[in-house]
Amino acid sequence: MSGSDVILDVRGVSKSFGGLKAVQDFSLSLSQGGLKGLIGPNGAGKTTVFNLLTGVYRPDAGTVRLGGANLVGLRPCAIAEAGMARTFQNIRLFGQLSVLDNVRLACHLRSSGTMTGAVLGSVFARGQERAMTERARELLRLFDLADREDEEARNLPYGDQRRLEIARALATGPAVLLLDEPAAGMNPQEKVELRQLIRRVRQEFKVTILLIEHDMGLVMDVCERIAVLDYGQVIAEGTPAEVQSNPRVVEAYLGEAPAEAGHA
Amino acid sequence: MNTSAAQLRERSRALAPGVGLSLARGVAPLVACLVLAVALQIAVRPLMGDYAAKLVLDIGVAVILAVSLTIVNGFTGQFSMGHAGFLAVGGYASGAVTYYGSLKVWGSAATHGGLLSGRPMSVDPSTLPLIGSGDLLFVGALLVGGLTAAALGLIVGLPSLRLRGDYLAIVTLGFGEIVRVCIQQTGPVIRTAAEAAQVPAWKLATSVGGALGFTGIPKYTSLFWVWLIAGITIMVAYRLKRSTYGRAFLSIREDEIASEAMGVNTTRYKVWAFVISAFFAGIAGGLFAHTLGVGLSAEAAGFLKSFDIIIMVVLGGLGSVSGAALAAMVVTLLPEWLRGKHVGPVDLSQYRLVIYALALILMMIFRPKGLLGVAELWDRSLWTSLAARLKRLAGGKGGSR
Ligand SMILES: Nc1ncnc2c1ncn2[C@@H]1O[C@H](COP(=O)(O)OP(=O)(O)OP(=O)(O)O)[C@@H](O)[C@H]1O
Ligand SMILES: [Mg+2]
Repeated sequence: MSGSDVILDVRGVSKSFGGLKAVQDFSLSLSQGGLKGLIGPNGAGKTTVFNLLTGVYRPDAGTVRLGGANLVGLRPCAIAEAGMARTFQNIRLFGQLSVLDNVRLACHLRSSGTMTGAVLGSVFARGQERAMTERARELLRLFDLADREDEEARNLPYGDQRRLEIARALATGPAVLLLDEPAAGMNPQEKVELRQLIRRVRQEFKVTILLIEHDMGLVMDVCERIAVLDYGQVIAEGTPAEVQSNPRVVEAYLGEAPAEAGHA
Repeated sequence: MNTSAAQLRERSRALAPGVGLSLARGVAPLVACLVLAVALQIAVRPLMGDYAAKLVLDIGVAVILAVSLTIVNGFTGQFSMGHAGFLAVGGYASGAVTYYGSLKVWGSAATHGGLLSGRPMSVDPSTLPLIGSGDLLFVGALLVGGLTAAALGLIVGLPSLRLRGDYLAIVTLGFGEIVRVCIQQTGPVIRTAAEAAQVPAWKLATSVGGALGFTGIPKYTSLFWVWLIAGITIMVAYRLKRSTYGRAFLSIREDEIASEAMGVNTTRYKVWAFVISAFFAGIAGGLFAHTLGVGLSAEAAGFLKSFDIIIMVVLGGLGSVSGAALAAMVVTLLPEWLRGKHVGPVDLSQYRLVIYALALILMMIFRPKGLLGVAELWDRSLWTSLAARLKRLAGGKGGSR
């Protein structure tokens, strides 16, 4: 990994909630087009890392650089605009909006035009609307959700909701995609398909992916490199094989539960 | 394959419809609105009694208020409780413009309207033009009312919408009361053109009657103006809802954190919704102030009025434009219908608020989304789901037999 193709560079990020040090001195770098896993026992601070990267929380210390620009202190919407998109562990779809509208909303970020144009129904606004619809349908097709576009998002089965979250995140046109436990709640068949999907997304969208996942089979299979978090600190970093044989990692997981059954 | 601004723009150009079609679909509803409003005034109004006409007019104003509040409470899911404050501000601002404007231009506050606007019974309609010079003053005044309310909306919304949750409700509640008290502190209305000429303009703006109310405003409001503007309000709200901006509004209501993570500047859109909403409330206030038989007073800003509008929005379905309009009609007609109705010794019309409360409770139990939820009357999905429910209901009965 040469320094020049690093797209996301996180240095010394910390966050405490009252007395609880949820994340301590967290550093991580993602190389352009890479696919890295972020694993760790329950409560290790993985989701908090995502919240820090996307501006939901402001780090107490440290820097987050995306393509060179420091993101610390920006609003989440500005971070999304800078090219970071995410999914949520506890699914956060726009429940009463249709599947199509969930994805179209995410296209809004890259749209141009004015509210007046939209209200008056200008030629450009109509074209823009069609372009967004076309784009959203493309994404839904890729995620096998095309025939459910009119359904309210909250009525989708769990696995479909997880995939819709990924489609929605991609619609913002991100450079870096953060996936928070995309396989949680999926059945074995869906999990197998998810592996393919993640690989495909990475290729077709040229995005860099950071993946939180408890399903070790999936993580070890799709990720090139893995960082392990325990009590808010990175305790190991390396290839899947390296991480698996690292005694500190084994200890962190065994202290809680065997790695295979790490998560229900 | 990636969404980028340049790509979207390029596809937009490629997919854009012709100018002709755009123009037709953009303007046709406006023209239809205009034609219907003219027909209502010219052809239908003479067939109505004064009582019926006043009711239809009140419904129109209520529709504007309810639909505009839907943009905030329904679309973005923020809870504004001071809509009547904007109504009053718009009413007083536009009333001051027409009243003192008339004194300056014509030397008196008599109306100079045309066929389409309100006028005293004594005026012979055959001598009138379609649109009079007074109508132009009136339209200008309505705009002033709307813009004043919108400006206040910005001042109130900017600080409070940055904060989470209930702040807006508290701040807007206070806002309505502040407006009410401020209006009560204003000076008496200046009655003659000569006097008005000696007083600086800012002083005129604060000479709007105080606790006695603002009387003498020329009564331009007619069914034509009310329903034309109601139509425009419905159209703007519905088009906003169906646009990419409307989705941004709705996404805030659905999940603010996700909305922000998808790149929606939630503060900016909440403030926009609030300002647009205040603008139309201000215009409704202008229409209200110029209505024959209305005494404009500080009470117009009071919480009771705001509460009425909130009821309309909640009953109609949070997020439904047509639902809000429908509920505006029901809530306006209800007290009229209750008038003189007795159950034993109880006069029902005194229990209007109790009936609202009951209706709300029933709604919470049986249909928490409101009458139409986020759907519109003309959405097919609304009717198919209703049909499915009815079928299930009928089927359920059959099974238990
Ligand atoms: N907003 C918050 N306020 C207080 N404590 C918090 C907050 N968010 C997270 N925490 C705490 O920070 C720690 C890390 O939580 P986090 O959700 O990041 O863990 P995680 O690694 O994602 O766990 P899991 O695998 O269960 O999702 C936990 O102890 C959690 O209770
Ligand atoms: Mg987590």
